[in-house]
Amino acid sequence: MVKQLGFVLDVNRCLGCGACAKACQNRNQLAPSLVRRQIRKVEKFSKDHIEMFYLSTACNHCGNPECLRVCPSGAYAKRRDGIVLHLSEKCTGCKSCVASCPFGAPQINPQTNKACKCQLCYERLDRGMPPFCVQACLTGALRLKELKDIPDNKLLRLTAPAPSLRLTRPSVFYKPPSATKVSGFSFTI
Amino acid sequence: MEFHHNICPRNCYDTCSIISTTHKGVLISVEGNPDHDYTLGKLCPKALDDVKKVYSPQRIRYPMRQRGRYSGFWERISWDEALTLISEKILALKKTYESSLPLALNKYSGNFGVLHNAMEGLFTGIGATTRAIGSPCWSAGVEAQTYDFGTFFCSDPLDMAKANLIWLWGVNPAWTAVHQMPIIFDAIDRGAKVVCFDTHFSATAARAHQYVQVRPGTDGLLALGFAKVLLEENLIDPNLSCYTLGHEEFLYYLENEISLDNCSEITGVSISTIRELALEYGKTHPACIWAGFGLQRYTNGGQTLRAIDALGSLAGHLGEQGGGVQYAQFQTWRFSGAIQNPAHPFNISSNTDHPSSLTQNQKQTDRLLNINRFSEEALNCTDPPVKMLWISGRNPLSQDGNLQQWKKLINQLDLIVVNDLFHSKSSEAADLFLPITTHYEHWDLNAGYWHYWVGVNEPAILPIGESRSDIQIAWDVSAKLNELEPGSCIFPTSGDEVETLLRELGPQMLDILGLKKPEEILNAPVRANFPSTAWENRIFATPSGRYEFFSSQASNARLSPLPIFVPPLNPSIDAPLRLLTPHHYSTINSQVYASGADNPDYVLHLAPELAQRHNLAVGDRAQIWNKSGLLEVVIQPLLGISPDTVIIFQEQVEGSSPLNCLIGTPLTDMGQLILGAPGFALNETFVNLRKL
Repeated sequence: MVKQLGFVLDVNRCLGCGACAKACQNRNQLAPSLVRRQIRKVEKFSKDHIEMFYLSTACNHCGNPECLRVCPSGAYAKRRDGIVLHLSEKCTGCKSCVASCPFGAPQINPQTNKACKCQLCYERLDRGMPPFCVQACLTGALRLKELKDIPDNKLLRLTAPAPSLRLTRPSVFYKPPSATKVSGFSFTI
Repeated sequence: MEFHHNICPRNCYDTCSIISTTHKGVLISVEGNPDHDYTLGKLCPKALDDVKKVYSPQRIRYPMRQRGRYSGFWERISWDEALTLISEKILALKKTYESSLPLALNKYSGNFGVLHNAMEGLFTGIGATTRAIGSPCWSAGVEAQTYDFGTFFCSDPLDMAKANLIWLWGVNPAWTAVHQMPIIFDAIDRGAKVVCFDTHFSATAARAHQYVQVRPGTDGLLALGFAKVLLEENLIDPNLSCYTLGHEEFLYYLENEISLDNCSEITGVSISTIRELALEYGKTHPACIWAGFGLQRYTNGGQTLRAIDALGSLAGHLGEQGGGVQYAQFQTWRFSGAIQNPAHPFNISSNTDHPSSLTQNQKQTDRLLNINRFSEEALNCTDPPVKMLWISGRNPLSQDGNLQQWKKLINQLDLIVVNDLFHSKSSEAADLFLPITTHYEHWDLNAGYWHYWVGVNEPAILPIGESRSDIQIAWDVSAKLNELEPGSCIFPTSGDEVETLLRELGPQMLDILGLKKPEEILNAPVRANFPSTAWENRIFATPSGRYEFFSSQASNARLSPLPIFVPPLNPSIDAPLRLLTPHHYSTINSQVYASGADNPDYVLHLAPELAQRHNLAVGDRAQIWNKSGLLEVVIQPLLGISPDTVIIFQEQVEGSSPLNCLIGTPLTDMGQLILGAPGFALNETFVNLRKL
């Protein structure tokens, strides 16, 4: 049966601590220039509220992956569980995917001159284990879910400008952030 | 694959239980222990870099001698050469001065494992020496809580999940105690409200319902303001007379000395917010306050903690499940101390030159210097002067104040020895560098100061290079001393790490841990069998057995018997901005991790309006300075910080000028009685700012 696995991030539990990114980097033994998971701080403020949260992002394993569409050598595949796989042996390093992914997920590995990206730790998933990033998350903010299980009204899609969202249908969702009420002299002057 | 139990030995709330995996003798991964109710199978990003740290190319693998301090010309020497150099110097100094006091040890929390106390044991074994005592961290708060509760104890951190109101006061667990955050989130999911009090909008504040910005150093007054509202609104625990002492005197003080107008003006928190929060705190049960270490790093730090304790007591939150005022605890650290106090070994006790009561005598004559003013106090020692310094588990040239005095002290020293994993600001000044093992390469015994767990650290791999454990180094120095001059050191000359750590579990520790035999600790970490809620039956360890609003012990120490507000230091015209230097999520003080992401500059965080006043935008270069020193910084505006305060988080920065070049040695009001020396009022640092 075809399904779609995807990351769900509860931004109200994410500390921006970077354990997910660190675990990905270390456990996959990536060279320092290869960053498969990134953390971005988002800040908005009004007179008496600050909304500050972190977005931990990796490959979104899109429903309609642009990398797969543009690759001239068929080096991308989508598994029945929705994981978008990069097949290194077919990759020629042409960088089409690097240029076309709206999320900047594929990168060129300087050692192989081929593209590489988050493979959602599929070998671990196949053995019933969570991906390194999800396993490392201290607060349970980052989870991997089968997306049809989640009621849509409780989640937001926040990753990129709207047109590419509609086109590629990234399999990643964020719970809406809540703001902190602030009080103190900087806010009352 | 092989698995081992390890414990993260950093000076950190979480003291995680780690499972390390090795393959053919190589450490390949580290993970949190799932069978530990606080670690819960997870590690922070610092510990996640441990494999890289162990095998880091920057790690020092051999004993090294520097040809000329600060020269960077390090040459590899053998252990025998290193031990001979050290031992000959020790013996020569003893002979010249007819005393071992010229030998000084400056050691603290680089690795909190109990076997690292072998360094103290070695020095005790040599004779009466000069020692750094006290703590650069928590002294004022420890003493404050001891006056109030009788001893320094906190609830099991899991108890916080039961709170309906959590006040995080001067603490940033999202960066410094990440394992507490899921507990707080569970409380939030259950409906609890979380309020964060701090000087700036931290990553923790971002996850709270409300953030209250407090002017630095005025938290004690804010607590007294809340207490005053409780008094006015009749929200005081009616049973206070059953379990507290001096509440009437304290209420009299609140009534007559504390005005909300004044409190609001000084703390920067509006009267309406003070009232609103106080009512919520008085009416919600259980309500928990977590008082961080940051708010006691002021000249009034002890009073601040006493005021917060008093607020908790007045509202009846002490001893309630999920309530209380939590700071930290030391009750799981009741080790036997055998390692620091070596018994007279059989073979030497027959030597009549060394009476068997030597250890006791030495204890009385050690020259004790405040760790926070070590260089100044060491320079003042003249009879005899300090001539040799051993730095262990510390990096004073990066963390201490008053670097000018440190430079002077270095000039007068014949020998400086550093034992560490990596070079540091302090090793730049050293003559000898002794490479030590990480916690994956030696046995050890560790306890938490926040949770109640105690456990053993097993070596997972062989020592890297020629590195040796601190206890092995201590044995080796003793052996060399005794080889050169028999009987010159009563510290053991060899031993077994496991046997030594088991001896640290005396009858008291076995009782606390519920163990029959010390060997049982080798199986897995053990949680001390304390009740989860501190002071649950409201019987306190004070002289009166009650919670003491009025403390005769404080009075005897020439402090106010009641918690009072004492203003912090004021900025001057020359240095109008207060500089705070809190921990960064990626480091613990100067400890090096293998991330390799060193920044070229310190980042100065400041209020947007202050940046504007100096015509500074993001990324601009600026200078901050005061009479101690000068530092170049890059500008980064920060939300929720007052315009009279600037912050530099303690990140790893490449470059020559260390952050502490701006720092003097102001001391906290408390710490002497319990820790032997007042603490470091680090947050009383002031600077000037100009655009470059």
